[in-house]
Formats: sequence, structure tokens, C-alpha cells
Amino acid sequence: MTGQRFKQISLDGLLRNNPTFRLVLGTCPTLALSTAAFNGIGMGLAVTFILICSNVLISLLRKAIPNAVRIPAFVIIIATFVTIVRMVLDKFIPSLYESMGVYLPLIVVNCIILGRAESFASKNKVLDSALDGLFTGLGFTCALTLLGIIREVLGSGAIFGYQLWDFRIGFFSSSAGAFFVYGMSIALFNHIYSKIENKLRSKNFEARIMQKPDIGEPENELADQAEEAQNAALQTAPDQNAPTAAANAGHDNGGEA
Amino acid sequence: MKYLVSDSPHIRGKRTTRGIMLDVLIALLPATVVGCIYFGGAAVASIAISVVSAVAAEVVFRLIKRENIKDILLNFDLTSVVTGLLLALTLPSQAPWYVPMLSSIFAIVVVKMLFGGTGKNLVNPAITGRVFAFIAFQSVMVSGWLAPSIGAISPVAASGASGSVSTGATQLTSMLGGNGLTVSDLDLFLGTGVAGCIGETCKLALLIGGIYLVVRRVIKLEYPVIYIVVTGLVACAIGKDIGLFVPSILSGGLFLGAIFMATDYVTSPHTRVGNWIYMALLGVVTAALRAATKIEVVSFAILLMNLLVPMFNAYIRPRVFGAPSFVKKLKVKLAEAREKRAQKTDKEDAQ
Repeated sequence: MTGQRFKQISLDGLLRNNPTFRLVLGTCPTLALSTAAFNGIGMGLAVTFILICSNVLISLLRKAIPNAVRIPAFVIIIATFVTIVRMVLDKFIPSLYESMGVYLPLIVVNCIILGRAESFASKNKVLDSALDGLFTGLGFTCALTLLGIIREVLGSGAIFGYQLWDFRIGFFSSSAGAFFVYGMSIALFNHIYSKIENKLRSKNFEARIMQKPDIGEPENELADQAEEAQNAALQTAPDQNAPTAAANAGHDNGGEA
Repeated sequence: MKYLVSDSPHIRGKRTTRGIMLDVLIALLPATVVGCIYFGGAAVASIAISVVSAVAAEVVFRLIKRENIKDILLNFDLTSVVTGLLLALTLPSQAPWYVPMLSSIFAIVVVKMLFGGTGKNLVNPAITGRVFAFIAFQSVMVSGWLAPSIGAISPVAASGASGSVSTGATQLTSMLGGNGLTVSDLDLFLGTGVAGCIGETCKLALLIGGIYLVVRRVIKLEYPVIYIVVTGLVACAIGKDIGLFVPSILSGGLFLGAIFMATDYVTSPHTRVGNWIYMALLGVVTAALRAATKIEVVSFAILLMNLLVPMFNAYIRPRVFGAPSFVKKLKVKLAEAREKRAQKTDKEDAQ
């Protein structure tokens, strides 16, 4: 596995395909369990663990599972790990087990896990799938914790169970507040995300313009094609280093000349 | 000859948003003054906080959007003042300072500005601000009603609660709870000895404001009348008692909601027929929800119906100039049907 691939998978899971803010998956536990920061972390870590395990197993079995029955097969694999997590939590952290209630067994039908199994683990190698599970799960955990902190501080004046002040706005503890905070966070996240993305894109674009020897001269077809391929690569991976991309483009042009 | 090229509309009325909002503010003046007299300094402070924070929220939001400060101040339509004032009038007077402040900031920023500013909001900002206060600070909004300093003129029962300054349920909640009223209809009308929000208690002051709005042609007379009458009738039908009509329309925030909030241009249907149906449905929803929940629901009913307004506008459209009216279309259709039937019977006869 190259560093490039690692970077792509990790950024995909945490930011670009963040399950909560970008894909808007797993909304039911997000809305229900973000009342307190600790619940958010607990739920997020449980999902992360199940996601890694199910991704690894599904990736291992991806050639053995017939395409027609893949969804039942995935659900059985996921359900196995959910049962393990339930038993472990019930035994060792009963308070968290209590507060998560029905949402813990419901992880079986959580669309994040099934979505990653369907779109990533069933098509990729084991190590890649494990990393994808880890980073998608961490993205989910971070999002839930963030929402939990916002709602806990505003709704009950506490953070991680530690009482800060007596001032409470009950709205943020209610389900209406959950939708409100969730929607606002999605809006804010995507606003910042698109700003950064635009900046990176324009930076790449400027770097490429600077590298061109002279713009007025018509270029031959091959160079154009190489350019387009570069463009596509840049668009799929905007985090790619601008200087390298520019250097590559320059190299290609030079080769043609 | 000089030709001017411009987009439609080519003819504009003289009325501006600012002018209409000024009219609404003047109409709210009696209710505000009476509220301040009834509930004292706390009410004045509450209104001031609400209005100031509403205006400040709008200005700050537009500054964040990098609008020119001069532009904001010169083109300031008074909508946020109206929102702040209306919101304060729907809150109990003894609410702590942060209730009017946070509610009006919520009303302006979330309900109005995030949807694109004046005229683009889906629901009435003041109503939604009140609903926010209701959900966010339930302890204040459900039990903490203060009776005005002026006692009831003619208390019905000799219970001590009606005359003295006390916190407790409003007359409406006690009526819905089956405990009956402790004051007469006249007291309900004047708001004396009636616990409630700052602006909703004195129906006389609200009526004066409503008449001013009708005279200035800001609102049409029939809209609030339909709402209030339908609410009363449905309440009678549910309670199976015609005597419920007067107390059910005079208690709670029905007058305030019907005159100043349900008639908001932005969040009511565009057509006259649409408005009739809208107001009637509002009345049904209000009375039914009151009976079901045993609390005051005018704000929730208006919020609910506001969300249906786009549907009203989609299905009830103004007649295009020159197109046949609804009645005419119906006549044509009936004539066609009659002709068909005639043909059919002719055929049967022939056979």
C-alpha cells in the first residue's frame, strides 16, 4: 500500500465521505444518541469496531459470496459482530449499554456499515478495507461527539457529564433540537469544506498555468489528452500536492516537445 | 420621444414594506401600552430586550454577509421591530431576560435570515420564536403565568386567585381542564384579572389595533373574523355547549394570533379564496388541538398552517385575465354533461 492510497482512504473516511456530514447516513442513531457527548463517543466507537471487523471479513469473503445473496450475507456478518459488542458492553460498561438502549442492536441495519460493505469492502483488498472501516468509523465518532458536545453544553449545561453551569435551553435536548443542530452542522461543514476545496482547486489550476511555456501556441492532441488525464486525477484527489501535479504536467509537456 | 425599457412590474403601488410595518406597529401600540400598564416594569423590559435583540440580530447577520452598513440602515424595513414586538407580546411578563433575547434572535436569524430575509421566510418568525421559547423554556412558559396588577371587575367565583397577583394557569387552561372560568366574559374581554401573555390579555386593545389595520387596508376584515368565528363554533361543537362560544374566543391568544399573525402577508395564501379556506382551517385546527391538548395552541396551529401555505398557492391560483371564471367553467362542464346524457337517451330511444 502506498502512502498516496493511505492518504486517500483516510481523508475519504474522515472528511470527503464523512458518513454524517457528507453522506448523511446513519441519521437515526445520530439524532437519538447525540444528546450527550459520552453517548456519542460510545456509539461511534462501537460502530467503528463493528465496521472494521465486518469490512475485513467481507473483504476476505468477497470472492466466495455469490452476488445474488450478498446483502443477507453482509447482514449476517454484521449481526455477528453487533452481538459480540452487545455482550461485551453489557458485561463491562452497563451504564453505556443502558443509555444506548435499542440503538445498539439497531447497528445491524445501520446504513453506514452496510454502505461501506457494499461500496468498498466487497471490491477492495483486506488491508484497504480495514483502513476504510477505521477511518469511516472515526469520522462517524468525531461527528457524533461534536454534535453531542454542542447539544450537551446548550441543552443541559454540561460537558461529558461534568456540570458547567445551571443555564439550560431544553430545546437542544429535545428531538427538534437534534434536527436543528444536525442540519446546522451539515450546512457549516459543507460550507467550510467547499471553501477549502475551491481554494485547493484554484491553487492547482494556477500552478498548472504557471508551468505552461506559452499559452497562445496551439498544442497538439496528445499533450491535450495528457492534460485532461491530469485534470481528472486532480479532481478525484484534490488533496494531491500542487507542486507535484504541476511538475508532472510540465514533465509531460516537455516530453512531447 | 424617449422610450424606457424596464422589466415588469411596470406600475407599482405607493406602499412600501416599511410603511405597512409602521402601520402594524401603530396598531400594536394600544396592546403594548395596556400590557405595560397591566404587567408593569417587567413587561417594558421584556419588550425592550426583545425588540433590541431582534434588530441587532438582523443588522449583525447582514454585516456578517458583508452588506454595506449604510445600505442596511437606509433600507431598514421595520419587519424585525414588528417581529421583536409581537414575540414579546406573546411571552409571559416575568420571563427571565434571556427568554425574549434568545427567542427573538432565533426568530430573526434562523427563521427569517437563513431563508433569505424579509419576504422569503416559510413560517412567521414571531410565532416560531414563541414556539421555540415554549419548547426551550418549558418551566417558564407552561406554569409561570402572572395575573395583571388590575384585578377582575366581577369575579365569578369568590376564589382568591382571580383578584390577587398570582402565578398559575391561564383562564383558558383552567377552562379546558374542566375547572371553569373564575372571571366573567367582560373581564376576559378587558383582560382584567386574567393571567396570560403581555399582549394577549386585553382584547379591546387588540380590537382597536385590528380596526386600525382594516381601516388602513393593511388587512382584510373577513380574515381574522373567519378565524375567530370558526374557532368559536368548532369549540362549541366539540364541547356540545353553545355557551362556550364567547369564552373560547376571548381567552388565550386567539385575537393576537388572528389579527396580527395569521394575516402576515408572507405566510398566508396569495388569493382571497385561498385565505378564506386558510383562515377557516386555522380555526378548526386551533379549536381541535385546544380540545386535544388542553393547552393554548394558537401559535402551534398557525405554525402548522403556515407550512401548508405553499400548497394553497399551488392549487388555488388567481384567475388569469380573460380566462373564464370557476363558475363559468363549471357551467360549461355541466352543459357538456347534459348534452352527452341527451345524446345517450336519444340513442336509446332510437334503438
